[in-house]
Amino acid sequence: MNDPLARPRPIRSLCHRLPPIVALLLSVTVITVGMLLPPTHWPSHGALLCILLAALSLARVPFRVVAGRLAIFLAFALLFAVSVPLSQGFRGGWEIAQGILCRGTESFLSGLWLISVVPFDRLLATLRRLYVPAILLAILAFMYRFLFVLWDELDTMRAARRARTFDRAGLVFRWHNAAQMIGMLLIRSLGRSERVYGAMCARGWDGTLRTLDE
Amino acid sequence: MNPSTAETVLEVSGLSFSYPNGRQALDGVRFSLRHGEILGIVGPSGAGKSTLLLHLNGLLPLRPEPTRASTNGAAVHVAGLSVGAANLAEVRRRVGFLFQDPDDQLFCPTVRDDVAFGPLNLGLPRAEVERRVVESLSAVGLEGFESRSTLQLSLGERKRVCLAGVIACQPLILALDEPFSNLDPRARRALVDVLRRFEGSQIIATHDLDVVVELCNRVLVLDEGAIRADGAPAVVLGDQALMERHGLEVPLRLQLLRNPPQ
Repeated sequence: MNDPLARPRPIRSLCHRLPPIVALLLSVTVITVGMLLPPTHWPSHGALLCILLAALSLARVPFRVVAGRLAIFLAFALLFAVSVPLSQGFRGGWEIAQGILCRGTESFLSGLWLISVVPFDRLLATLRRLYVPAILLAILAFMYRFLFVLWDELDTMRAARRARTFDRAGLVFRWHNAAQMIGMLLIRSLGRSERVYGAMCARGWDGTLRTLDE
Repeated sequence: MNPSTAETVLEVSGLSFSYPNGRQALDGVRFSLRHGEILGIVGPSGAGKSTLLLHLNGLLPLRPEPTRASTNGAAVHVAGLSVGAANLAEVRRRVGFLFQDPDDQLFCPTVRDDVAFGPLNLGLPRAEVERRVVESLSAVGLEGFESRSTLQLSLGERKRVCLAGVIACQPLILALDEPFSNLDPRARRALVDVLRRFEGSQIIATHDLDVVVELCNRVLVLDEGAIRADGAPAVVLGDQALMERHGLEVPLRLQLLRNPPQ
């Protein structure tokens, strides 16, 4: 079973023992350094990537996880990067494309490291202490909470679908199926958000986020 | 406020409601609830049980405007307050609502944050909120769960955390939508024990008729949006003809009382 939303497992590494604020600052520093380096200076970007990979292995993030997530990220980043030279008829813009790829990958790996070593609720608490606006934090908290719920829902739908698909194959058939499932998931998510909002109203929600840690 | 045992805490008078697709979900529902009463609402699926509960703290109708609402004006009163746009906050303070699916209700990263959500919205001071979190978690038998992640709880635990979040607001009435569905016997037993200790009124919509006999002191049979029977659980649920007419069956507990196994 390859669960892309691997549940947090208790790993104790050197990185996990860092105070959350230190991990957050390290991660932001790496991203800032990546932004400041000239996009075509390969040795410095190479060094930064090596540092990031070393940090990920120190945090015992499995290589499979890093590679899998990087592949998804690169698929989007490449499209985005290529769009710049494309808009100039491939006569220029390669430098910007390089910048997007290098800096994007560095930021992505740095973020991956951060969420691997700091539990999500502690990360939110740290961001709150740094005066990140409450509404952003609320959105992050909701996203993290309901990602798992929706993923489980999708899993159930897929299992139910598989149980009745038998061995019918074919690309068009599978795409058709996937499209239906995505549509269904969207509608279920809308229904779910409606119920969650109702449940929040039932406990006195008036649009202001209040937490115990303020 | 210290209501005497005879005081009416909830008055539903002629409540009708139809969904936007035209389906009549409630049709002239009329009943009242006294302080401390535990009322079971039973009926086949689609009878209007959840719809009725959602009206008790104003989650339905969605737009309480006189022009669009299909509900008669102020058909529900909670402790003398009419349930409507003007009194929503006060009404929701008095009626605690437990949703069927705990994932609809639990949305904070940790148990402590989630139980504190209601009391914080009531504007209580932090020390009081902290006290209520500890108290309500211990009331549902989950002492020491404060820092646990809401993602790592069993279904029974999640239901009880939800209940703690509702109890922490100290409501006058608990409205529970299918609280026992999908629970294993131990989790179900734990929940029944928690509810038995709660000192307010309760309205429990459920298919678990055995629990109704055990826990409730009154039961309503709801079918096609209208109340078909109202009385003591042993009498109402023991009426085989009535039960069969509304897609239910006499709970095993009562069958055994009547025809003990040889």
